[in-house]
Amino acid sequence: MSLYPSFARPNSLAQASELLAGLSGGSVIIAGGQEIMPYINHGAMQPDIYIDIGGLKELRGISEADGVVSIGALTVHRELQGNAIVAEKLPMLADAASRAGGGRQVHNRATLGGNLVAMHPLYDIAPALLALGAEVELVKAGETRRTSLAALMHETSHGLGSEAILVRVLVPAMAAGTGWAYEKLKLSGGAYGSANAAATVQLDAGRITAATLMIGAVADRIIDAAAAVQGLIGQAWTAAAAEQLELRCPALVKQPLSDQQGSGEWRQAMAGVVARRAMAAAVARAGQK
Amino acid sequence: MADHSTTDDTRYVGQAVRTIEGRAPIVGAARYTNDFVFPGQLYAHIVRSPHAAARIRRIDSSGALKVSGVVRVLDGAEAAAHLKPITHYIDPAVFGGKSAEVRVMAVDDVWCYGQPVAVVVAEDKRTARFAAQRIQIVYDVLEPVLDAEAATAPDAHIVVPGWDSNIMMQAPFRNGDPDAAFAKAAHVVKTSVDIHRFSTQPIETRCYNAVWEHDIEGVTLYATAQNPHPLRHVLSEVLGMPESKIRVHAPVIGGAFGMKMHGHPEEALMCLLAKLTGRPVKWTETREECLLIGAREQRHHMELALDADGVILGLRDRYFANVGAPSACPGWGMAFLTGLTMPGPYAVRDIDVQMTVVITNKPSWNAARGYGKESTALALELAIEDAARQLGMDAAEIRLKNFIRAEQFPYNSPTGLIYDSGDYSGAVLKAMHAIGYEGWKARQAEGPKDGKYIGIGVAFELTPEGGALPGTMVAGYDSSSVRVAPDGSVRILTGVTTPGTGNPTGIAQIVADELGVTMDAIEVTQGDTTTCPYGFGNYSGRSTIVGGGSAALAAQQVRAKVVTVAAALFDVPEADVELHRGVFSVKGQQGRTLTFKEVCYAAYTGAYSVAHGITLPLEATATFKPSNIRHTPDENGRINPYPSYSNAAYVTVCEVDVETGKTKVLAFAAAHDCGRVINPVLVEGQACGAISFGVGGAMFEAIAFDSSGRQLTRSFMDYVMPRSEDLPAVKMVHHDSPNPVTYMGLKGAGEAGVGGSAAAVVNAINNALIPLGVSLNTLPLSAPNVWGAIQAARKRGQREAAE
Repeated sequence: MSLYPSFARPNSLAQASELLAGLSGGSVIIAGGQEIMPYINHGAMQPDIYIDIGGLKELRGISEADGVVSIGALTVHRELQGNAIVAEKLPMLADAASRAGGGRQVHNRATLGGNLVAMHPLYDIAPALLALGAEVELVKAGETRRTSLAALMHETSHGLGSEAILVRVLVPAMAAGTGWAYEKLKLSGGAYGSANAAATVQLDAGRITAATLMIGAVADRIIDAAAAVQGLIGQAWTAAAAEQLELRCPALVKQPLSDQQGSGEWRQAMAGVVARRAMAAAVARAGQK
Repeated sequence: MADHSTTDDTRYVGQAVRTIEGRAPIVGAARYTNDFVFPGQLYAHIVRSPHAAARIRRIDSSGALKVSGVVRVLDGAEAAAHLKPITHYIDPAVFGGKSAEVRVMAVDDVWCYGQPVAVVVAEDKRTARFAAQRIQIVYDVLEPVLDAEAATAPDAHIVVPGWDSNIMMQAPFRNGDPDAAFAKAAHVVKTSVDIHRFSTQPIETRCYNAVWEHDIEGVTLYATAQNPHPLRHVLSEVLGMPESKIRVHAPVIGGAFGMKMHGHPEEALMCLLAKLTGRPVKWTETREECLLIGAREQRHHMELALDADGVILGLRDRYFANVGAPSACPGWGMAFLTGLTMPGPYAVRDIDVQMTVVITNKPSWNAARGYGKESTALALELAIEDAARQLGMDAAEIRLKNFIRAEQFPYNSPTGLIYDSGDYSGAVLKAMHAIGYEGWKARQAEGPKDGKYIGIGVAFELTPEGGALPGTMVAGYDSSSVRVAPDGSVRILTGVTTPGTGNPTGIAQIVADELGVTMDAIEVTQGDTTTCPYGFGNYSGRSTIVGGGSAALAAQQVRAKVVTVAAALFDVPEADVELHRGVFSVKGQQGRTLTFKEVCYAAYTGAYSVAHGITLPLEATATFKPSNIRHTPDENGRINPYPSYSNAAYVTVCEVDVETGKTKVLAFAAAHDCGRVINPVLVEGQACGAISFGVGGAMFEAIAFDSSGRQLTRSFMDYVMPRSEDLPAVKMVHHDSPNPVTYMGLKGAGEAGVGGSAAAVVNAINNALIPLGVSLNTLPLSAPNVWGAIQAARKRGQREAAE
């Protein structure tokens, strides 16, 4: 905590990594500033050193190769909403980015990396990326490593935000005919989410052959509802199947959040509602071009 | 929005003239209080209590004083040595209540979470905040009282040491024989209405910048203040300094809604710090601090006595206002106005209303738009909805049956108010027509679709405006000056101020018509105690009534002067001189014209010739004092503190998703009576703003606390106001009954609508949920609360089926 913090703006990823490796605590990595500036303005965060990674070219750009879409961590929400590759290969990510809170000014500055590094349970991007099986590439102390986003979210010593830099997000392109939906429930237009669900589904002759389902904003971590989805495989999406899913999901919420986005009891019940709605919408979309 | 075409385009009044102060705020050029920075500027950071109830054992400021750049640190005890207690805006003692000694910072005892305990003054904001963390304070934490009714228990913690209870004031509002009315009633309907704590959140938070004036040993306070002159009076008392040495300057305000009425500790504290340091000291409120200012938390236990046809015979209400910790701000008065406004627009005479104002360890209230009258509307309209439901009557029909009729005005209310005018039934019918009431009823009869239930809500709000409370600086009159320069340009200086509503434009429209000039010749100056005539500022929807009224009278006097000069120049009788939009002409003589500028210059330079008969300069100051305010108590001790009684009907259609409890407002219509409309765009802007306040309050805006009294709502992440997507376009119809006693029939237009629109939404949601057996009168009707009520009703149904 310093009254007169330092500010550094490295020119390359290597330089940034080297700089971070040489620092002890008290530094913070900043890019779009939409996550940490409110905390700093509020006095809840008082870093000694700001490392501005906004100039790192390695963290920019969206490309596709071998069925994997690579998205630079500095990509802002607005780009995710409008990029042609994302729209075609990862439409659920584009949709989730457009549902994120804040107006256009925020979407123009808020980065994909900042959103993920926050690991905020109410945010919209992570559930969509988890449902799509995304991986991430990060650099720490000069070493590059690739891991699944799901695994990263359970790590406690990844060092993102102060020691490690999130470089890129790598997402398998959605297969043709994949049904998908991102469902978000919030108390009012300007509110954070109270419950959200990201679902993908594959159908074959009216039967579900594969499905993923992530439920966010109801617990301190995003819930992988694979256990609830299991029973759907090989089944048609019927009223009974929908009811089963809605009943199973709340049971996965062990310790619901209870705050001004809604009471725990309600959040737990809503986990089932948004899950069912997301899956129903994904099924309806499946097979359509 | 309504049709703005006007029939009389020879006058500015009535037209949707563009606001004269509109450009600067939109392009970011307006200078708000925080934009003023003076040489040697210092910044204050206030240390606030993290506890709701505590005794301060020790404050050690030495750590803060060691930080380079810190100029001064002050705690409550030291401030109290320099300052008297803050003068109450409305002293409860004047009305028979208990008056607490309110200091700028806590001395020994902490009354609420967020109460100022110490202040750091430094060369910059960051240093002040940094150093504030180095002040060590040891508290003995006490068990707080947070609920109003619990705070009245005999063993409850007493918030103010020395008081015998936490009850600040109790007052009856009683008339007729309510017991007899209830005895003969065919139906008695009991309704508890729980209004939660929600506030007003101006986008510009409060800011005070005190500049020490070495030459006169006085102080200038740049302030987000709605009432500069009365604030100057308070400062003079607290600082022990004559008013002549104090200047309060309130620049452009970015929203106020009552919150910027004074009594706040930071006002006098900044002046003291400027005096002690000899330098300018500024404090700018954070959003977290702004959210500490509460309002409206009030529980009503209503009973209506009705005959078999649904005519209301009597009304009982026991209500408890949780006004939080004692404050010098006028917030507590809201609770008083709630009772005084009973029974609103209804012709019931036998009433028994008991107000209990309770002090608790929550942060204090300040005035908030509606000023308690929104709570009257909520309590009444929710109770009447319950009555309609129990009697099986249509919600609109029961209201139409019980309204005061248009021919009954002026109407003496059972609490002593004198309602000036209105046509309440007509307003409801207009609003129902505007929304397409029958069409929605038909759609509702088709039943729910996809788990979405539709409900229609009707509500009415009577809003006394322009108030004057005896023995306080809440005055009913105000004054304005009109000054015309030799070049014919006009400056209006008013005692009223604007919180950003556009009243300078309305006042300029009035003056342009009365004086006979064009709008672009006029500038309006407000909010400066050194340049403006003595006035009471902005509250209670008064600024156009008394500011416009007094400016009109001043303009008439100046017009008489210039007409005299023009007559001399034309060499015709004054009666033959015409003046319209800056051009003088002579009746019946085409082509003989003089410009306003020519005549004004001739007046200033012709004191011994053409202007011989007038008093120069071309200036006048006048006062408008509504004649129907009565402060002499009648035989029952009642007064009429209001000159105007705005009113409006609200009808809304809401859709409830029973799976989630989430509600959507599908349609909204309002029929609004604010008397004569000066500028329909300004009026509708205010009315729509009030509606969004009401909808937000009814559905999701809430200030929450944990069980230890710490406030949980600290930012706009948790205090969420409506966005455009939360409201449909409002169908606004004017239904104006001119006020017989005000200038041109004006009534207040700025305050009305928070309670009526909130009640309409609550009624619509409950109406939608009738098939599910839900009736929810605990606000807000947020999705979790509505869902919880649906679940509870289902369980109740299952239990009953099992039995």
